[in-house]
Amino acid sequence: MLQWLPPNVSTFGQGVDSLFHLIYYITLAVFILVTGTLIVFLIKYRHQEGRKATYIEGSTTLEIVWTAATTVIVFGLAMLSLPQWNKIKSPTQFPENPDVLVQVTGKQFNWDMTYPGPDNELGTDDDLKLENELHVPVNAVVHIRLTAVDVIHSFFVPQLRLKQDTLPNRFINVWFEATQPGRYEIPCAELCGFGHSGMLGYLNVHTQEDYDAWVRERWPSTQ
Amino acid sequence: MNDNEHISHHHEESFISKYLFSLDHKTIGKQFLIYGLIMFFVGGGLALLFRWQLAYPDRPVPIIGASPQYLEEGEVVTGADKMWERIYETDKEEWLEVNMPNGVIEPAFYNMLFTMHATIMVFFVVVPILVGAFGNFLIPLMIGTRDMAFPILNMLSFWLAVLAAIVMVIGFFVPGGHAAAGWTGYAPLSSDPQWTGVDWGQNLWAISLLIQGFSSLVGSINYITTIINMRAPGMTLFRMPLVIWSLFIVAILLLLAFPVLSSALALLIFDRLAGTTFFTATAEGGGDALLWQHLFWFFGHPEVYILILPGMGIVSELIPVFSRKPVFGYRSMVYAMIAIAFLGWIVWGHHMFQSGMRPALASAFMTSTMLIAVPSAIKTFNWLGTMFKGSIRFTTPMLHAIAFVSMFVIGGLSGIYMANTPVDIFIHDTYYIVAHIHYVVFGGSLFAIFGGIIFWFPKMFGRYMNDVLSKIHFWLTFIAFNCTFFPMHILGVGGHMRRISNPTQYEFLQGFEGMNIFITMSAFTLGIAQLILVFNFFWSMYRGKVAEQNPWQVNTLEWEAPTPVPHGNFEQIPTVYRGPYEYSVPGAESDWIRQAEPEHAPTSAGD
Amino acid sequence: MFTDTSEVRPISNARLGILILLGAEMMLFAGLIGAFLVFRMGNVTWPPPSNIDIQLPHAITGVNTFLLLLSGYTMFRALRAIQKNLIKQLRNWLLVTAGLGFLFLIIQGSEWTQLVRNGLTLQSGVYGGIFYVLIGCHAVHVFGAVIWLLIVLAMAIAGRFSAERNTGVEICTIYWIFVVLLWPMLYVLVYLL
Ligand code: HEA
Ligand code: HEA
Ligand code: CUA
Ligand SMILES: [Cu+2]
Repeated sequence: MLQWLPPNVSTFGQGVDSLFHLIYYITLAVFILVTGTLIVFLIKYRHQEGRKATYIEGSTTLEIVWTAATTVIVFGLAMLSLPQWNKIKSPTQFPENPDVLVQVTGKQFNWDMTYPGPDNELGTDDDLKLENELHVPVNAVVHIRLTAVDVIHSFFVPQLRLKQDTLPNRFINVWFEATQPGRYEIPCAELCGFGHSGMLGYLNVHTQEDYDAWVRERWPSTQ
Repeated sequence: MNDNEHISHHHEESFISKYLFSLDHKTIGKQFLIYGLIMFFVGGGLALLFRWQLAYPDRPVPIIGASPQYLEEGEVVTGADKMWERIYETDKEEWLEVNMPNGVIEPAFYNMLFTMHATIMVFFVVVPILVGAFGNFLIPLMIGTRDMAFPILNMLSFWLAVLAAIVMVIGFFVPGGHAAAGWTGYAPLSSDPQWTGVDWGQNLWAISLLIQGFSSLVGSINYITTIINMRAPGMTLFRMPLVIWSLFIVAILLLLAFPVLSSALALLIFDRLAGTTFFTATAEGGGDALLWQHLFWFFGHPEVYILILPGMGIVSELIPVFSRKPVFGYRSMVYAMIAIAFLGWIVWGHHMFQSGMRPALASAFMTSTMLIAVPSAIKTFNWLGTMFKGSIRFTTPMLHAIAFVSMFVIGGLSGIYMANTPVDIFIHDTYYIVAHIHYVVFGGSLFAIFGGIIFWFPKMFGRYMNDVLSKIHFWLTFIAFNCTFFPMHILGVGGHMRRISNPTQYEFLQGFEGMNIFITMSAFTLGIAQLILVFNFFWSMYRGKVAEQNPWQVNTLEWEAPTPVPHGNFEQIPTVYRGPYEYSVPGAESDWIRQAEPEHAPTSAGD
Repeated sequence: MFTDTSEVRPISNARLGILILLGAEMMLFAGLIGAFLVFRMGNVTWPPPSNIDIQLPHAITGVNTFLLLLSGYTMFRALRAIQKNLIKQLRNWLLVTAGLGFLFLIIQGSEWTQLVRNGLTLQSGVYGGIFYVLIGCHAVHVFGAVIWLLIVLAMAIAGRFSAERNTGVEICTIYWIFVVLLWPMLYVLVYLL
């Protein structure tokens, strides 16, 4: 089933995928165990003339067994996923001084990408605003400052394994490091009105050279 | 007053007081059941409509849609074309013209369709049937009393539900259309008309749910009081059938959860009508965009357990009866349900992992959420344990119970993926969630409902449902259900977002068209299958084979009552001598010992 | 209605029912109070800059709080009276309680008109909004409870109650006490904090 996952092109995506696989195998095992037992019982203990059901009220030991087993498994899972989660979502653990910083603003029904420009300061007059086109270099740490103007949207890049809602009047930071040049879609993943379906931006991951070229063309002033 | 007198004098009452404004818990239960079935078709019909759009984006829906010729050359060939001609001639904006010109579903209309689909299915189908119908019909019968503690409130609860349904349906026809912000009604989308163009639709949605809140408030007061106060002599708490336990717990959940939604709805209405800014975040003393989500999910997660617990209860009745064996670990089954109910209050954040909630908080919610797997495990394995060394009868209710167990496990296990915060980053708001929803709520709740209906039908209407039709319905439903919803897991893994009206707009979703078409085909099959159920239901009410008093040889008290159950239920309030699941007791000559059967027999786990 | 449904009941259906209802009421207010706290914590200053000049009438509301608590006591006396079968006392205490309830509402009403004149309205940010909704929700409950009181009073005058048959008074008392005890919490939260 998991071969349907879109190819992963982010540094942390691998961690997400391996957790996905781990849970897949655990739950598959549990499912086979449960339905397997179920089917066996259904066949073995189907009503037959002359065979009477055996009176069993329960078994404390068994109860303890599966309670404990399940507890162990789920706690194990939780422990394993904590570091992954923090790596991706908690700002304290982001790699600092990013190579690129962009503000992405969700609004019905577009993504506004605001580049700080040479001074790397958002809100100055060398800022550059593009609609739905995000340009970043490959193998570089990118910080995205997410916000929205009207309703809640959700910044989703399937190939990066990254999704984060954007809230009006609030700034939420996310980061990523893309490992493959290419053009990826940025669908909006949170219902935001009649234009939600089709609210779509693009993430252009360039090789360093192409990116530099793009920057030079945008800000000729700089060297 | 002596009962026979009482019963007799209740025989000559008018149609109105007997069927319409009846105070009898059995009639009210049946009213809720039919109410729920009707709404099920409305909600399902909506689903079929938007399923069509997902399979064939921007193509006219069958029957009422315009023909290709009409769309190209404008030549009228079908009756539908004629209709569209008429509609376009009139200069006034017809409903169809606004929502589906030429029969093509508009994006805004699509949002309204799935919003109302979910709202109706959750609040007007599953809860009314599980809690309203089974709760009303079973509680007094199974605890051995004559009626609910407050019959008038009971009737009130039903008619409030009807009022809520009427208000909800009116919403479809107001200018601006019905609510289109999802059944979760996330603010600010829902709280400010300018974002959706939906005007009174959203207001009526909120008002209707407020009314529904009163209805279930009244109902749960009734249930809790009845179960605490009116159990037959000898019916100790731990001799109560598990379905009664589940309804008891659910009543408490409803009682405490719904008011929180009501408070949120009130704030929403103020935002929309009184110009407050509770959910609109502005720099100047403004509101909070996440507040709605917290309030909604604080209600919402207990709500989803309200949807499943009675199903678990029903299944816990069916499996012992048809395995002719006591339920495995009666007490741990009870404690597991209580544990699920408790944990249900501290996991709501798992719907908000990607919402901008503090990451540390998310981790806490992940852990508490995963813990719910533990009591669920207890229940699952205890059901298996009940069948172990049993003597299993494959009656149709049992088939549904078995389907419930396997389908609920799939739905539950998919919950584990989503509870896992990193994985949820990817699958949040994808069809993986949609698959989960339907596996727990259709594969779970609805299969339990079907099983329960067939099982208690003889007690409700004095006749059997036609078994051939029931079996056909079961197999069709079971297969079509899995064909409809299992592929949604794959869509989800592919990143296919939910709530989008046109998947073909996205490159990375190319290659899923085929699957979407397959799902839609299966969905229509699933729909047809339900028609069989409904036909069987009403046909058997009048033509079904007449049933004896206790056709399945069940121990619990509802079968002590004569069939059809008279007003007042029992000639003589039964006395309870043992637990509800005394099947195949060693040494006993018959393989079942009724709870009300006097002489001494080995007593059960629950004394 | 049926003679043989006389199971052993720790408490009567009516009393149990009203207590259960209170559970729901508490959750309703919990929701609104939760919203209040979210706004309270979410804003750096409270009242927020936009309503900085607003002064809630602490003192007069303090008096009002006292009046309501007093009415709780008088209601309690009313119940005691009927339990001793003192119909006349019952009537008087009910009358006093209803009076105090009305007084509370009137004072609060005048406060509100004052506040509106000072420019605090539903529309003035979440500060005004949640103030009127939360306090208003309680006021509506007081109003409903007063109506209920008057009905009980009418029944008392009609001589429907006695030492044995006083459930009607009892559940009304329970509800009234709830509404009364809720208020000091709201007072501290909304006015003092
Ligand atoms: C009947 C309704 C019902 C039920 C019972 C459940 C049960 C569970 N749900 Fe689900 N849920 C919904 C209805 C329900 N849910 C709905 C409607 C939504 C969507 C809302 C919306 O956004 O529209 C939703 C969404 C939802 C989300 C949010 C996803 C997202 O939006 O990103 C999450 C995340 O954690 C979740 C988790 C769970 C879990 C962990 C359980 C657990 O209770 C499951 C426990 C059961 C099992 C685990 C299986 C049995 C156990 C065993 C066989 C033992 C062995 C198991 C292990 C070792 C793991 N659910
Ligand atoms: C009790 C809960 C319940 C039930 C029973 C169902 C039943 C069904 N659901 Fe639903 N569903 C939800 C609860 C439920 N759903 C929820 C909570 C959501 C989330 C909504 C949101 O995102 O806000 C959802 C969302 C949802 C989606 C995702 C929409 C989106 O995100 O874009 C889809 C897509 O396929 C879907 C399909 C179906 C189908 C095919 C059925 C079928 O099982 C229905 C089968 C029954 C019938 C079809 C009835 C038979 C009627 C007829 C045969 C008459 C025919 C009439 C006409 C054609 C007019 N549902
Ligand atoms: Cu923006 Cu959906
Ligand atoms: Cu949940």
